[in-house]
Amino acid sequence: MRFMLIVKATGFLEAGINYNQEYVDAMMAYKKSLARVGTLLANEELQPSSSGIRICYSPQGGEPEIQVDPFPADQELIAEYMVIDVRTENDALKWALRMPVPADRVSMIEIRRLGENSDTLPEPGIQALEADLQDHLHMLRRL
Amino acid sequence: MRFMMIVKATTDSEAGVMPSQELIDAMQKYNEELVKAGVLLAADGLQPSTNAIRISYPEPGGKPKMMDGPFTEAKEIIAGYTLIEVKSREEAIEWALRMPDPHGFGQGEIELRQVFEVEDLMENTETLAKETALRKQVHEQHKS
Repeated sequence: MRFMLIVKATGFLEAGINYNQEYVDAMMAYKKSLARVGTLLANEELQPSSSGIRICYSPQGGEPEIQVDPFPADQELIAEYMVIDVRTENDALKWALRMPVPADRVSMIEIRRLGENSDTLPEPGIQALEADLQDHLHMLRRL
Repeated sequence: MRFMMIVKATTDSEAGVMPSQELIDAMQKYNEELVKAGVLLAADGLQPSTNAIRISYPEPGGKPKMMDGPFTEAKEIIAGYTLIEVKSREEAIEWALRMPDPHGFGQGEIELRQVFEVEDLMENTETLAKETALRKQVHEQHKS
């Protein structure tokens, strides 16, 4: 089963203040140990929300409202995520608890299970072929 | 440059209510377009926060505190994400605006965030080299 470990943003990160080298090294060692056992599927860090936008749809319908950043840091913004593949929920929790946290800052990690319908995303090339094939099928059905 | 389109949770998604077939079809069509344009890198839906856990470190350097889901504020919870690779911020915004309203009942919200490239993050060349090696390892392990 796949889980997403979501590292929440802090005021420091939103202000663009980087972590110290000690934490960066600890995080790298952690990710390496995840990768070594084949558990790490994906990992990305997001830029501060000052470069983000939000598109909000209103109940009245019509054009969406576009909000330009930065968003309040207390609104649980994401700073980084890792997707891991483990056998049980307990394994996911164990890994999450092993993740290093910077010693001088308040931090939060959220663990969320991923839906399994889109289990593994095939190679983009194969997906492009599949999309083409779908198009042909639609076309043939219309004939 | 890579961007993440984050779909926020709604009261329906948190309650496990499945989207209408119409919305599923529209979303699928949108995803097909992303694939055809060669911009889609990854996409996933997250299960409701009922089975989620939060680990927080309220005291810097202290013990973690665990909290079980469900979490209350739907708009602060993530329901899904789509990672795309595009040429410009404008192109990313265009794609985000073309995504179907993810809820349809007024709670739909998409957050667009740029993803760091490894080089942006790491000034230390040694760390950068390690990260590049790690990414290569992950990529090769999961190449089916």
